[in-house]
Amino acid sequence: METTDLNLFVRTSEETISDWDRSKIVDALIRETLIDRDTANEISQEAERLIRASGIKIVTAPLIRELVNAKLIEKGLENARKMHTRLGMPIYDVDNLILHPNKENANVPHGPEATNLTLAERIKKEYALLTVFSQDVADAHMNGDIHLHDLGFIDRPYCSGQSLEYIKRFGLDLPHSLSMAKPAKQPEVLLAHLVKFAAALQSNFAGAIGWDAINIFFAPYIEGMSDNDVKQLAQMLIFEFSQQAVARGGQAIFTDINIYWEIPKHFVNVPAIGPGGKFTGKTYGEYEKEAQRFAWKLFEIFKEGDGAGRPFFFPKPIVHITEKFFNTTGHMDFLNHISDVAADKGNTYFVFDRGDTAKISECCRLSFKLDEHDLQDAKEPWRMRYCALQNVSLNLPRIAYLAKNDDTKLFNKITESFVLAVKAHKEKRNFLERLLSLGEDGPLALLTMNRDGMPYLRFNLASHLIGMVGLNEMVQVHTGEEMHESKKALKFGLKVIAHMNLLAEKMKRQEGIRILLEQTPAESTSYRFARLDLRYFSPLSGKVVKGDIASGEVYYTNSTHMNVKQPMNPIERVTNEGIFHPLIEAGSISHVWMGESQPSKEAISDFVIKTFRFTTNDQIAFSPEFTTCNKCHRTGRGLSDTCSYCGSMDVDGITRITGYFTKVSSWNKGKLGELKDRHRNTEFFSENIAAVNQ
Amino acid sequence: MGIVKIFYKDDCPMCPMAKKLKDNLQEKEIGVVDYNVETAEGLAEATFYHVMALPTVLVEDETENWLGEWRGNVPKMEEVLNIVNGR
Repeated sequence: METTDLNLFVRTSEETISDWDRSKIVDALIRETLIDRDTANEISQEAERLIRASGIKIVTAPLIRELVNAKLIEKGLENARKMHTRLGMPIYDVDNLILHPNKENANVPHGPEATNLTLAERIKKEYALLTVFSQDVADAHMNGDIHLHDLGFIDRPYCSGQSLEYIKRFGLDLPHSLSMAKPAKQPEVLLAHLVKFAAALQSNFAGAIGWDAINIFFAPYIEGMSDNDVKQLAQMLIFEFSQQAVARGGQAIFTDINIYWEIPKHFVNVPAIGPGGKFTGKTYGEYEKEAQRFAWKLFEIFKEGDGAGRPFFFPKPIVHITEKFFNTTGHMDFLNHISDVAADKGNTYFVFDRGDTAKISECCRLSFKLDEHDLQDAKEPWRMRYCALQNVSLNLPRIAYLAKNDDTKLFNKITESFVLAVKAHKEKRNFLERLLSLGEDGPLALLTMNRDGMPYLRFNLASHLIGMVGLNEMVQVHTGEEMHESKKALKFGLKVIAHMNLLAEKMKRQEGIRILLEQTPAESTSYRFARLDLRYFSPLSGKVVKGDIASGEVYYTNSTHMNVKQPMNPIERVTNEGIFHPLIEAGSISHVWMGESQPSKEAISDFVIKTFRFTTNDQIAFSPEFTTCNKCHRTGRGLSDTCSYCGSMDVDGITRITGYFTKVSSWNKGKLGELKDRHRNTEFFSENIAAVNQ
Repeated sequence: MGIVKIFYKDDCPMCPMAKKLKDNLQEKEIGVVDYNVETAEGLAEATFYHVMALPTVLVEDETENWLGEWRGNVPKMEEVLNIVNGR
C-alpha cells in the first residue's frame, strides 16, 4: 500500500492537520536515532499497518510516535526507543496540576505561573533522566537509592553566593537586557539593583541566592542617613524580598542575607566602594558603625513582622557568631536584639564560625568555608562568587536494609552509592559545561558574562554536594538502636559520616572537583525515600519509618539529625547533633522547635553563647509556631484549628519546614507527619524563663 | 585503671612519638587503643572527642569518664602513668 492510499489525517505538534505521510516516520527515526534507513522503513510500514487496521481517521503525532516506539521495543531496539521518546504528561496529570497545589516544594504558590513552572519542571526532569544522566544513575534515582535534587532545573546550577560588590562596581549590565544601569548613586537604587539582580540569578540557579555581609557592603551608602531613613531602607529590603511573588513560577526568591556585627578580619582593610561605584577612600573597617546601624534596623523590621504581624519568610537573616563578635563593642546588646527576634518571630539563624574559620552561608544550611584563595579574593570582594552545581542525596536506611547487619556490606554499599552520586555530578557538570560553552548566545548567558576578567560563574570553583537522608534510621536498622539511645549507636552514626567524609576527600583528589558533604534539607526527599522503602523493603522498613503509616504521613529523619519526636533537652540535642557538624563541610543546622513557648531574649542569648563555646554545632535556629487567620488577618502564637481572635476556622499554620518558614497548608504529607511528631521544648523554655526571672 | 586513647595519622611530624608511647605503655600492660584519623573508625572517634590537633592522647576510666588529655603533643610516659594509676 502506498502512503497516499490511506485516508488518514494527522494532528501535528505544530498545531496543523496534515495528510498521512509515512516518510515522516522514516525521517524522524533517521534524524533522532542511529538506526539505518531499511530498518526505519520497515518500522514505519509496520506502524502504518497497525494504524490502518484500527480504522481511525485522525491520529495525533504523539500517538504515532508511541506506536513506532512499540515497534522499536518489539525489535529489541531499546536504545533507539529511548532516543525517540516523546516527553510529556497525561491530561489527567495536567488537570490535577492546574487545579491543585504542588506540594513538593512549599515555596511554590498555587497559580498559573506556578503551573507553568511545574509543567516545565516535569519535562526537564524526564529530559534529564533520559539524556543527561546515564541509565544506572537515572535508575538509582527512580528507584530511590539516591535522589538527584532539582532535576526540573537540570539546565542551571544549584545555588549561588555572592556580594553586593559586583553590582556596586559594575552596575546592572546583564546580557540581552533592554537597558544598562550604571553603578547606583543612591541607596534605594542600589537596593533596586540588588533585587533585580537577585531575580535574574533566580532564573539561572535552581535554589538559594545568598548575599554575603550585606550590612557591611551597604554601609558606605547609608553614611549620613538618619536612623529613620536607615530603617525605611531596611524595611524596603525585607519587603522587596518577601514579596517577590512575581518572579519564576510565582516563587519568592529563596534569599539569604549574611549579617555581621563586627567587620570580619578579611574585610577590615578592603577599600570600600561607595555611590557611583567609586572607592570612597576608606576601608570597610571604617564603616563598622554604619554597618551595625543597618544590621540593627534590619532586625527591628524582622521583629515587627509583616503587615499582619507574621514572620517574614524571606529573606533569611544569617548572623555570624565569631570570636571577634564577642570582642566587638555592643555585641551583647545586638545578641539580645537578634535573640529577641528569634524568640518572637524565629527568623534569626545563628552561624558559628569558630577559630579562624570564615564562611559564607547561603542555602538552608549550605555554607562555604573560605580558603586561602578565597581570602585573597576578599581583597576585591566582587570576585567572591561561589556556587554548588548540584546536590545528590543518599538513601541511608535502604543501604542498611540491603546490608543485613553486615558491617562490611554496609560500608561497601555506602561507597557504591557515593561513587554513583559522584558520577551523577560529573554528568551534570558535563551538561552544564556544554551550555556554558555557548557563551553569551547560550541559555546561561548571565553566568558567562565577563566584567572582571572571568565569567560570573566561576565554574572551576564550583562545589558538588552529597547529602544524606535518614542516618538515624540506618543506625536503627543496623544496630537495633536509634542514635539518641546509646553512645554506641551515636558513634556508629559518626563512623558512617566519617566514612562519607573520607570518601569525599578521596574522590575530590581523584576527580579534581570540589566534592563536599552537606546536610540535605530533604523537604520532599525524606518523604519520598520513606514511601519507596515501605513499598520495596517491608516489613523491615515499617519498623523504622517515622510518622503515621496508616495516613501515609511518613518520613525519614533528616540528614544526621536525631529523632525529632524524642523528648530531649535542646542543649543535649544541639550538642549531640553538633558532634557531626565538623564532618559535614558544606553546612549543617540544628533546629530547636519551640511550639507556642516564647522564651526571653536573655534565655536565647545564653543558649547561643553556650552553643558557641561548648559545642561543635555549626548553626542553630529557633522555630516558634503561629496560626494566621485568613478572615481577620491576625496572627496568634501556636498551631490551632481556630483563630484565637475571631474564632474563624479559616486559618493556616506557619512554622519552619526545613530551612525556611512557610504556611503549613503547603506542606507535603511527610513533613506534616514530622510536624505532628516534633518535640516542642515548651517545658525547657518555661523553666528557663523562670530561671532568668529569678 | 585508666584506658589510653591515642589519635594519630600517618604523616604528622610528632605522631611517631605517640606510637612509641603506645608501645611503651603496652609493655607496662596499660590498656591502649590507637586511632588513625584517616580511617572511618578513627575519624569518628576523633570527631566524638573534638580532636583538632594531632597527636592527641586521652585517658579515660573504664566507663569512659575523662581523666586527662594532651592535645597536639605527646606527654611523658610518667605523666600518663600517673593519671592511669590515679596518682
